[in-house]
Amino acid sequence: MRIIRSVRHKVCADGAFMKEFLLDTPVPAEFYAYLGNFGHIEKLINVGEDFYKFEKPDWFSIKGFAGDTTVEVRFRKEVMDLTVDFVYLLFSSYHDGKVDLSALKRREQAIGERVRKHLHGSQE
Amino acid sequence: MIYLNNAATSWPKPPEVQAAITKSLSLPVFGSGRTTGTEGEDYITQTRECLSSFLGAEPPEHIVFTHNATDSLNILISGFLAGKKDECHVLTTALDHNSVLRPLFEYNEQGRIRLSIIPFKGSSVSPEAVEASIRHDTRLMVMTHGSNVLGSVQDIRAIGTILHDHGICFMVDGAQTAGHIPVNLKNLPVDAYVFTGHKGLLGIPGTGGFFLRDPESVSPVRFGGTGTDSFSLMHPRGMPERFEIGTHNYPGLAALAAGVKFISDRGLHGIMEKAERQTTFLINEMKKDANITIYNNQPDLPIIAFNIKGLKNDDVGFILARAYGIIGRTGLHCAPLVHKAIDGGEGCVRLSLSWCTTDEECRIVADAIQEIAENANY
Repeated sequence: MRIIRSVRHKVCADGAFMKEFLLDTPVPAEFYAYLGNFGHIEKLINVGEDFYKFEKPDWFSIKGFAGDTTVEVRFRKEVMDLTVDFVYLLFSSYHDGKVDLSALKRREQAIGERVRKHLHGSQE
Repeated sequence: MIYLNNAATSWPKPPEVQAAITKSLSLPVFGSGRTTGTEGEDYITQTRECLSSFLGAEPPEHIVFTHNATDSLNILISGFLAGKKDECHVLTTALDHNSVLRPLFEYNEQGRIRLSIIPFKGSSVSPEAVEASIRHDTRLMVMTHGSNVLGSVQDIRAIGTILHDHGICFMVDGAQTAGHIPVNLKNLPVDAYVFTGHKGLLGIPGTGGFFLRDPESVSPVRFGGTGTDSFSLMHPRGMPERFEIGTHNYPGLAALAAGVKFISDRGLHGIMEKAERQTTFLINEMKKDANITIYNNQPDLPIIAFNIKGLKNDDVGFILARAYGIIGRTGLHCAPLVHKAIDGGEGCVRLSLSWCTTDEECRIVADAIQEIAENANY
């Protein structure tokens, strides 16, 4: 799956930076299950085509409906420069469920250290 | 699409408003002192007279056109303080919008004023609370006429009477009330009343203004071309040139006049009755689900603020828009102190109706909200 472009953006009331991304294919429900490897997933079934929200505290959140070709991503603005590439990577790494999770986890850990350092001043 | 974000910007505009914009663009700009042309409509004068009549604001020259309500409030507040040598005490309320709060907080930070914020109870600021906040050096109160979150209209008659008894200037932000409820400034103890064109008056963004009873009470803070008294290098002090600079927004003013005429022709009371009935219907339907919190069960304006237990307001707005095609607004609505008081600063979902909202749309919206609430993760 690939992000084609950002179609809308705004600064949210809580200071987060929101970007709406257009994708090259509709998002399957399984994609959100895969995201669950990297953060917390909430879902509301029986609402539209099922609403999903992925939260990765301090990094970003992703929300959308299964079957939709757009998703809304809210970045924590202070570390957006560090995390935005990982959003693209999460989408581009997803090929019909076949994903190399170990490579993504290594990347997540490396970025995570930089995020922690930026936000909290030291590595935990 | 069901559009319920009219407290931000009303949509759609009546066909008459759209036609007026088209017509205004089909002719050269007509402005006294700015052209030798005689063909064209004098939209500035027409709109000024139209608003003067609609708001009971006499004389028409005391109506000043600006870009919007925020622009008006900045001109009025900064102009009022420009005429004051010493620091003074200023009042506002926790119901107010950032268009009032931010200019006042800036001046408070600069040491130009000492600011007091009067809290609200339920959905209103009581005249007694205003009176209790007055000090010997209180010179100005700026407050909203209608809350953009709670939809409550404030008792500006009682509050203005108290303020005038103490010789305090009273500026009222009518961004949410102009075009929604009758306003007769002839009989109200208000020194300045601010309006915007793109909400209840059914005009387009980029238009607004204010009525100022005593022009001498506010110093001009913008200077430039007016098309009048051009040999003078000092800015004219007569009204409305005292506050109006540069070329006017002709299409915007044409739209504003057409919007006001539309409301007048249709009848404000008829529009109000329909809005009240539909707002009450929506609230009664939403009240059936205990997981829906409504922050004012009896709004005076067609505004409903709510949250659904277990869901963030942003998510409810997202779901309503994407799954049901219902457009509202989420977040803080530029009124942070209201949210601090009602929802711990988290924000809420706001639905705001208009002249063209239908009963069927209200039914669809009620069903959608109930469906979301029933399926929320509690």
